[in-house]
Amino acid sequence: MRVLVVEDEAALREQLAARLKQEGHVVDAAADGKEGWYFASEYPLDIAIIDLGLPLLSGIEVIRRLRAAGKVFPILILTARGSWQDKVQGLEAGADDYLVKPFEMEELLARLKALQRRAAGWTQSVLHCGPVALDTGAQTVHLHERVLELTTYEYKVLEYLMLHAGQVVSKTELTDHLYEQDFERDSNVIEVFVGRLRRKLDPDNKLQPIETLRGRGYRLTLPRSAA
Amino acid sequence: MLSLNARLLLAASLALAAFLGLTGISLDQAFRASSEAALRERLQAELYTLLAATDIDRKGKIQLPNDLPEARFSQPGSGLYAEVVSNDQKQRWRSPSLLGQNIPFDARLKEGERRFTQFGTGATLLNALSFGVNWETAARGAENYTFTVAESAAGYNAEVKRFRHILWRWLGASALVLLAVQGSIMRWSLAPLRRVEKDLAAIEGGMQERLAGDYPKELQGLTTGLNALLDYENRQLTRYRHALADLAHSLKTPLAVLRGTLTATPDADELRRLTQEQVERMNQIVGYQLQRAATAGRTTLQAPVAVAPLLQRMRASLDKVYADKHVDCRINADNTGVFYGDEGDLMELLGNLLDNAYKYCGTKVRITAQPVSQALHHRTGLVLEIEDDGPGVPPDKVRAVLARGVRADESVSGQGIGLAVAQDIVRAYQGTLDIRASQLGGACISIAFPTR
Repeated sequence: MRVLVVEDEAALREQLAARLKQEGHVVDAAADGKEGWYFASEYPLDIAIIDLGLPLLSGIEVIRRLRAAGKVFPILILTARGSWQDKVQGLEAGADDYLVKPFEMEELLARLKALQRRAAGWTQSVLHCGPVALDTGAQTVHLHERVLELTTYEYKVLEYLMLHAGQVVSKTELTDHLYEQDFERDSNVIEVFVGRLRRKLDPDNKLQPIETLRGRGYRLTLPRSAA
Repeated sequence: MLSLNARLLLAASLALAAFLGLTGISLDQAFRASSEAALRERLQAELYTLLAATDIDRKGKIQLPNDLPEARFSQPGSGLYAEVVSNDQKQRWRSPSLLGQNIPFDARLKEGERRFTQFGTGATLLNALSFGVNWETAARGAENYTFTVAESAAGYNAEVKRFRHILWRWLGASALVLLAVQGSIMRWSLAPLRRVEKDLAAIEGGMQERLAGDYPKELQGLTTGLNALLDYENRQLTRYRHALADLAHSLKTPLAVLRGTLTATPDADELRRLTQEQVERMNQIVGYQLQRAATAGRTTLQAPVAVAPLLQRMRASLDKVYADKHVDCRINADNTGVFYGDEGDLMELLGNLLDNAYKYCGTKVRITAQPVSQALHHRTGLVLEIEDDGPGVPPDKVRAVLARGVRADESVSGQGIGLAVAQDIVRAYQGTLDIRASQLGGACISIAFPTR
């Protein structure tokens, strides 16, 4: 996932960025409202974490501008004061959830996952597509009720494809959301991961879970199911 | 800015000066007019006396007795003079008092004509009255004579001068008296204002807490308003002081535990776990006490907050946060319910209770808000009920749940300070909070704010 962190407190910003990177996310970190607004309008984000008390441009204002500009990615607000007036104001401006400082990093990660899942139209934390079940909480994948061993990057690619099941996901999109900016875009790493995923998900070539659309990208063809 | 005293004094002095000046001038005019009238009347009387004593002989010669009726006509330079002259100037009689004086009485009047004139200037000014008379004599037939009586103006002028002197002296004296009276009236009338000032100074100096004593009704609005403000300020200060003390005290327990842990626990994992626990506890305490301190509480000068729109806003916000739960939240509130208090307090109260309801409900939450009115009270009360279909609170636990947070140092632990915060806010507005079983199957939090 590509995550924007807008937080003026340097220590917290670095902690957040480090932890999110450790979780395998791509992180853009901004120290003030203006920079945050710039990053959010320039990069293809999946989610944003925005502190309410920001210099130059308040968090509320950043959220309002983003929503006015038609950005639909989920936004999680951080607030130090924690008053309901602040929370309601932030949610009304267009945020989707809030966290009051100080918070547990695990809590933040869980909220981010829930928001991402919700934004992709999933209501449960376990995503089911055909015989594949992906638990976004435990980060495990089951195929026909059996545990499937995946590397971190394989898991990330599958999670992204499953979150957007039925939609076409371009190679660039995958690269943007899964890797740091300086990643070599014309390398065939994505193709390698998708190839490995295909082999692991469909060892006898019957399921054909991921289709390749020439020049456009990939699509997970397995149907979404409730449980 | 000009002081009230100076304004009143200036205005009063100007009005007084104008009024007394005009009074003086008109009195002066009236006195002069009446003195002049009296003068004419006197001259007229002298003239008639002279006329009665006059005789014209056969040749037309004017005859007057040596022994004139008014002795002053006979004394030279006495100030009272007379002349009788025929209009052809052939016959003339002058009073002995005119001896050595050269006064050109030149009036030549027809029969019955009368003229008032003045001669000379300054000290030698004369007021003269002339009168034309027709006298028939055997030798010359009818002939016109002019009688003139003149009197020195010195006496008249002196009289006017004396009058003016007295007049202005009295007017000046009364102006001074009036100003003095005006000044004391002002001092007396403005005394309450000075008392307010003194009281305020005393409050500033910490000698007293509010404006004491009776004030005239024009000032009562101001003084009661000031007192309300002062009381509010005092209450606020007391609350902050208490909150600060509570905070400090309630932080001491986890600090003591931490210190004890540091010295007594050698195991790193155990140390981490205990520290984590105490940090979490301290975080809860800070959050709770901060919330308590931020509660504005009942105020006298506050516009009412409409409850229904606020409920809808809160529902929209919570629906977003608990989107996964698909909570069916119904609001039963029309536009009549209002809350007399701080909007932030109401939001905090509703936020805490609704967050709990959303968190613990199955799928249903119901909010009811109704105004309560009572005769003689112009501020309506409010009854709020928040119900859910969650597990509810067992009756024997109600007391414990509500007591939580009252003594912050021992009771804030684990989760759920929401109800304690709500309870504190309700108390700050002299309201009551109850927990019952709801028809929906879960808890029903019922809050009542009194009428006022």
